[in-house]
Amino acid sequence: MKLLKPSWVSHNGKPIFSVDIHPDGTKFATGGQGEDSGKVMIWNMAPVLREEDEKNENIPKMLCQMDNHLACVNCVRWSNNGLYLASGGDDKLVMVWKRAAFIGPSTVFGSSSKLANVEQWRCVTILRNHTGDVMDVAWSPHDVWLASCSVDNTIVIWNARKFPEMVTCLRGHTGLVKGLTWDPVGKYIASQADDHSLKVWRTMDWQLETNITKPFSECGGTTHVLRLSWSPDGQYLVSAHAMNNSGPTAQIVERDGWKTNMDFVGHRKAVTVVKFNPKIFKKKQKNGGSPKPSCPYCCCAVGSKDRSLSVWLTSLKRPLVVIHDLFDKSIMDISWTLTGLGILVCSMDGTVAYLDFSLDELGDPLNEEEKNTIHQNIYGKSLAITSTEAQLSTTIIENPEMLKYQQERQNAAQAGSGPGGAGLESTAPKLNSVMNGESLEDIRKNLLKKQVETRTADGRRRITPLCIAQLDTGDFSPALFNSVPILPGSSMPSQLTPQLSSDSSQGQASSLGLRPSHDTLLTSPPVKQSLLLTSASKIEPMKALDSRFTERSKATPGVTAVISSTAEKLGKLNKVKQKSETRNKEETSSDSEDKMAAINKNLSFTKRKADLLMDGGEVVEKRKKGRPRKDKMATPISQPFTQREPSRAAATPAPVAALKLPTPSIQKAFSLQVSMEPSVFLEVENDVSVVAGSKLSQLRCSRDGREWDTLLPSSVVTAAGSSDVIAVACEDRMLSVFSSCGRRLLPAIQLATPMSALHCSSHFVMALTAGARLSVWDVQKQTALVKNESLLTIMSGADTTVSQSLLTQQGVPVIGLSSGKSYCFNSSLETWTLIADKGDSLVQCADFRSCLPSHDAPVSSGPLAVMQGRNLNAGRLASRLSSTPHHLQQSMTLAFLENQLAAALTLLSAQEYRYWLLIYARFLVNEGSEYRLRELCKELLGPVHKSAATAWEPTTLGLRKRELLRELLPVIGQNLRFQRLFTEYQEQLELLRNK
Amino acid sequence: MAKVQVLNVAVLDNPSPFGNPFQFEITFECMEDLPEDLEWKIIYVGSAESEEYDQTLDSVLVGPVPAGRHMFVFQADAPNTGLIPESDAVGVTVVLITCTYRGQEFIRIGYYVNNEYTDPELRENPPLKPDYTQLQRNILASNPRVTRFHINWEGSADRMEDSENVDPAPNISGMLPPSCIPGKVPPLGLMPDNSMDCM
Repeated sequence: MKLLKPSWVSHNGKPIFSVDIHPDGTKFATGGQGEDSGKVMIWNMAPVLREEDEKNENIPKMLCQMDNHLACVNCVRWSNNGLYLASGGDDKLVMVWKRAAFIGPSTVFGSSSKLANVEQWRCVTILRNHTGDVMDVAWSPHDVWLASCSVDNTIVIWNARKFPEMVTCLRGHTGLVKGLTWDPVGKYIASQADDHSLKVWRTMDWQLETNITKPFSECGGTTHVLRLSWSPDGQYLVSAHAMNNSGPTAQIVERDGWKTNMDFVGHRKAVTVVKFNPKIFKKKQKNGGSPKPSCPYCCCAVGSKDRSLSVWLTSLKRPLVVIHDLFDKSIMDISWTLTGLGILVCSMDGTVAYLDFSLDELGDPLNEEEKNTIHQNIYGKSLAITSTEAQLSTTIIENPEMLKYQQERQNAAQAGSGPGGAGLESTAPKLNSVMNGESLEDIRKNLLKKQVETRTADGRRRITPLCIAQLDTGDFSPALFNSVPILPGSSMPSQLTPQLSSDSSQGQASSLGLRPSHDTLLTSPPVKQSLLLTSASKIEPMKALDSRFTERSKATPGVTAVISSTAEKLGKLNKVKQKSETRNKEETSSDSEDKMAAINKNLSFTKRKADLLMDGGEVVEKRKKGRPRKDKMATPISQPFTQREPSRAAATPAPVAALKLPTPSIQKAFSLQVSMEPSVFLEVENDVSVVAGSKLSQLRCSRDGREWDTLLPSSVVTAAGSSDVIAVACEDRMLSVFSSCGRRLLPAIQLATPMSALHCSSHFVMALTAGARLSVWDVQKQTALVKNESLLTIMSGADTTVSQSLLTQQGVPVIGLSSGKSYCFNSSLETWTLIADKGDSLVQCADFRSCLPSHDAPVSSGPLAVMQGRNLNAGRLASRLSSTPHHLQQSMTLAFLENQLAAALTLLSAQEYRYWLLIYARFLVNEGSEYRLRELCKELLGPVHKSAATAWEPTTLGLRKRELLRELLPVIGQNLRFQRLFTEYQEQLELLRNK
Repeated sequence: MAKVQVLNVAVLDNPSPFGNPFQFEITFECMEDLPEDLEWKIIYVGSAESEEYDQTLDSVLVGPVPAGRHMFVFQADAPNTGLIPESDAVGVTVVLITCTYRGQEFIRIGYYVNNEYTDPELRENPPLKPDYTQLQRNILASNPRVTRFHINWEGSADRMEDSENVDPAPNISGMLPPSCIPGKVPPLGLMPDNSMDCM
C-alpha cells in the first residue's frame, strides 16, 4: 500500500467535507467551505497518481472551481454515468452540474492562467425543496433517481431524468438525516439520522421497509455526517456511528432479515463514514494453479472522528490496515476509484489523502460479468439490464392496450433522446427563437444600433441587454460557441496554453474550436509588444495606475459632471423627440399601456373597432406623456413624478361613479372589411345628401362582389359585421341590424347612451355603450342574451378602462380591461366571470411544458388564447426560469390548468376546452393525481345505465364527453401506475359502445 | 456566489482617434432573474497621480436582466480633455469598467490605455500642449484586469464587507504592465490572481 497526501488539493485550508472520484477515474471533486460561500472543486487525478505528472507544470491540477453554493458544501457525488455532478450544501440547495463541452478550456474572464478553469462545469439545475442544510446526496443505480437528505429530517427523491421533478419526500426520521446509500440492486435506499435510527425504504412504493434502532440507542454526541454504505453484492449494509458495549462501531446489517449481529469494532471515536469498494474480490490465485473455489468477498473503508482510517475485507476478522493520525481532524468522506485499488479520503482539516493498494493486498477483482452473475444468482436479475424505471419494470403489464401505449411512449422517448441529429434539431429552434434566426455574428455587428435604449424617469440611460442564450438547459449549442469566439482566451492564446497539455502553444487555437475567419470580428488585433513600452520614469505612475484596477470606486467627482451632461443631452433629445412622430415613442417606451395598445393593434379580431376604441385611449395617453416632457424641458432635473400624477388625473375621462367609455368620433366616410370568408366589405359615407332638411348617410356593403346599399337618417358612428349580419350605430343612438343581403332584420334599437364599441359575430350583435352598459342580441332567435348589463361590477378601481372587447362565435361577450383582467358575461349564470388575468401569479409559475401536446399546434385563435395571448407564453417562459419548490409549482400548475378549463367552458370555446382538457389530463397523469383523474373520467363517462333521474349531459360545448374520454385513455395509458383505472374505463367505454 | 458573471468584454473601435467614443461589447451571464437593474460605468483615469482626475464617462442602467446570457454595447463619449492634466495626456493610463448592483460594486474591469501620436514627427517632438486631434487611443484589449468583489445580492447592502474582497494587493508591487519587459510575455506568476468566480 502506498500513501500520499497531495498538498495542492486544498480549499485554501478550509475544511473539505466531501470527496468523490469520477467514474472514469480521471478526475475527482471536492466540496467544502470557500471564502464566502460553499465551494466545489474538480481536480485532475493524474497528478495524484503519477509523480511525473504532478511535477509537470503543463498538466493542470485544478480543473474547475464553482463558488455558486451560498454556504458550505457537504457532499459532492458524480452520477454513475459520469455526466453529472450533484452537490448539496448548507444553503439547502442541491445543484446538479454538467460539463459545458463546447466551451472548451478557457480562463475566467480576465483571470491569469494558473487558476483558470480548464473545464467548464455549469449548474444545469438547482433542486430546492429542503428547508435545512443538505447533508448527503446519492445517485441511484443507473441514475434514475437522485436522493438528498437534510437536517430538515427528510429525504427527497428527485427524478434524475426530469430535473427538477420530485418523485417523493421520505418522512419518518425525527432527527437530522446525515447519510444515504442506495441498494446496488435498486430495491432499497437506506438513511441514517441523528435520531438513533437507520431506516431502509423500498423504492417500489417509497414506504419504510425497516427501522433499525438497537445498535444506535447508546449513541451519544453528534457527528457531522453519518455516511453509511451498501456492499456491492447488496448483501450487507454498514452504518456509520453505532455503539456496541459502549464502544463505537460500524454496524453491519444483513439484507436477509435486517439482522444486526456483526460490526466493525476498533475505532476510538464515532465512525463518520463507511465506504464499500465498488469491486467484489476473490482470493488471488497463486502461481496460476487451478482456481480453488473460494467465496468472493467485499472490501470496506471506515473513517472516524478519531482521525484514523481502517480498511476491512469481509473475509478477514481483523482490518486489512489501520492508519492512525492521517489527519488533524475528523475524516469526512471516502471515495474509491472504480478499479477498486485507489481510495481518496478527505478531512475536516482541509487535506486529502490518497491510498493505493495492490492486487496482492486486496485480491482479484471480479469483472463486471462475474459481478452480474452474483447479482443474478442472488436476486434473479442482473444490474446490467438497464431499465428505464426500476420501480415499474417489475410491474406486470396486465392490459394489451396498456402495453401498446407503454411501447409507444418508450419509442417516443428513444426518438427524442437519440444523439446527434434529432437532438441538434430540437435545440436549434430554441436558439433561433432567441435570436430571430440571426447568427450571433450578425447580432454583434449591429448590436449597438439595434439594442434598445431608453431613458428612465430621472433621465438616465437604460439599455435592455440582448439575451443570447437562456439558461434553462445549461446545454449550449455547439453552433453558438464554435461560430463565435467570444472566449476571452481567443485574444490571448499565450495565457491559455499552459493549462492545456504539454503541446506547444501554437496550434491551440484550432483545438479550441475557434475559426480564424472570425478574427476580423475581434476588434482588438494582437497588440504590438512595443505598444506600452514606456520609459523607466513611467514605471512609478504605472504602479499607481495598477492599484486603480482593484480599488473599489469612491464617490467619483465625475459623477456630478455626468448628471449635468445627461441633463443637457436629455434636453437635446427631447427637442428631437418632440419633432418626431409619436409612433416612435410607442416603440421606445416601456410603458405597459403602450404595449397593450400595440397588442390590440395586432388583433385581427377586433381590427377596426379596436382601433377606434384605442384612438380614444391614445389621445389620453399622448396628453399624459406630453405634459411632463414639457415640464422637463423647462426644468431639466425637476421631479417628473409629481408632475405626472395630476396630469394623469386630469386626463382620466371620468371618475368611477359615472363610468363613461370613450366613443369613436364621427368620420365623413370610412370602410372596413368585416369578414374574410366570404369577403364582406362595408363602406360608410355620412351626409351624402340632404333631403327635406335632414342629412342622409349611406351604408354600402359588398359581399363576394355583390353589392347592396341602404340609407340611414343619421350619421353613422360605427359599423360592424359578420358573415351573417351587419350592424351600424348612428349618431342619434340608433342601432340598426341588417342581414348579409341588406334586409333590415330588426327595427332600429334605441340606446340610452352613444355607442362605444360594436361587434358582430356569427348571428350575434354586441353593443357596448358609452354609459358602460353591455347588450348582446341573438338576431336569429330575436332574443337578448345580455340585457343592458353594467360594467360597474368589473370596472372597480380608478384607472381601469376598457382596453379590448370582443364577441365570440358563440355570442359570448368578452371585455378586456386595462388592469389586465378579462371578463366575459356568462348569460346562464347571469354574472361576470373572470377568464384571464395578466397579473395572475399562477400563470407565471404554472409549468405544464411537459404536458403540451407534441403534434397539435396550440390553439391560438380561440377567444381564451386571444385574451391571454402573449401573457401565457411569458408565463411559460417564466416558469422555466424560476424555480419554485416542486410541490408548490405542482399545485399552482394544477390550479392554473383548472382555471383555463373553466374559462374555456364559460367562453363556450369547444376547441380550447378540448385542448386544455388534454393538457390537464396529461398533467394529472404525469403527477399521479389519481383522485382528480378518476373524478374527471367519471364525469366524462357518465352513468353507464340509463336512468331518468340523472342530470348528466352527454355533451359539453358540443363535444361528446365519451369521445373526450376515449381521447384521454391513451394519455392515461402512459403511466403504468394507472393501468387499473385505464382498464376500468376502457372496458366501460367498450360496454357502452356495444350497447 | 455572484449572480452575474462577466464572460467577455470586446473592445470595439480600437485603436481609434482620441476623440472617438469608447465602445465595449459586454457579454455577461446571470444565474437568476434580477429584480433590479445593473449599473455599468466607464471611468477614465485622467492621471495616475490622483483620483481627482478620474472622469466617469458615462453610466448606464442595464435591465431587465432575466436569467441567461446577455450582451450589450456600452458606448460612452471620449473624456473631456479639459479635465486631463496636460502632462498626463500622452502615455499610458487606465480605463475602468465597473458594474454595481444595488449600489454595490461587484466587478471592476481595467484596461491599460496608451495614448500616443501616430505621426512619428509628433512622437519625437511632442508639443507642449497636447494636440488631442492627433492622438491615437489604443486600449490593451488583450489584457483586461478583472477584480471581483463579493457583494450582498439579496436585499439591502448592510452585509457588504470590504474584507471579503479577494485582493491581489500583495502582488501589486511586483506587477509591471506586460509590455514593460520588451519582447517577452510577462511571467504568468507575476500576475495578480484575482478573485475568481467560476462560470
